[in-house]
Amino acid sequence: MSTQTLDEQYYAQLLQLQQYDFALVELTLFLDTHPNDMQALQQFNQLAQQRRQCAQQFEQQYGPLLQFGQSYSRYPWQWAQQPWPWQV
Amino acid sequence: MNNNQCRVYYPFVGPFDPCPPIRVKTYVVPPNQFIPFQPMNLPQYPLPEALRRGTLWPALFSPYPCPPVGKGGGDY
Repeated sequence: MSTQTLDEQYYAQLLQLQQYDFALVELTLFLDTHPNDMQALQQFNQLAQQRRQCAQQFEQQYGPLLQFGQSYSRYPWQWAQQPWPWQV
Repeated sequence: MNNNQCRVYYPFVGPFDPCPPIRVKTYVVPPNQFIPFQPMNLPQYPLPEALRRGTLWPALFSPYPCPPVGKGGGDY
């Protein structure tokens, strides 16, 4: 089983993904108490879309981030290969 | 920040204290104590900054500035 060598790009994209996720968590909590804040809602939707693109690009290159059908996988099955996203 | 988030108080020290007294103790008063309801459209950090600082809005940022003081230090 070839252990995948992780390049700089892998960490850069993962960091970008973390930044999107954190901002989305903050905005979700904010919108829970401010349901009619239009600007925050638009920002939330924009970030969600950007996050999806970023995740898609990441998975295209480095394999699935999530499991149970939330991510695609190439042949052969990539989920069992080193490393998992939280191991890096 | 307008006022320092680090407050101090002075515990009572008596002659029968079992341990060496900790004369000064500090506690943090983060900005969210002063904002009862978060207003809309507050200025935001850029995303990398927000991730590093732990909040999206500078108004709510708190570095938890209080170093432990007093002889024992540790919990404060």
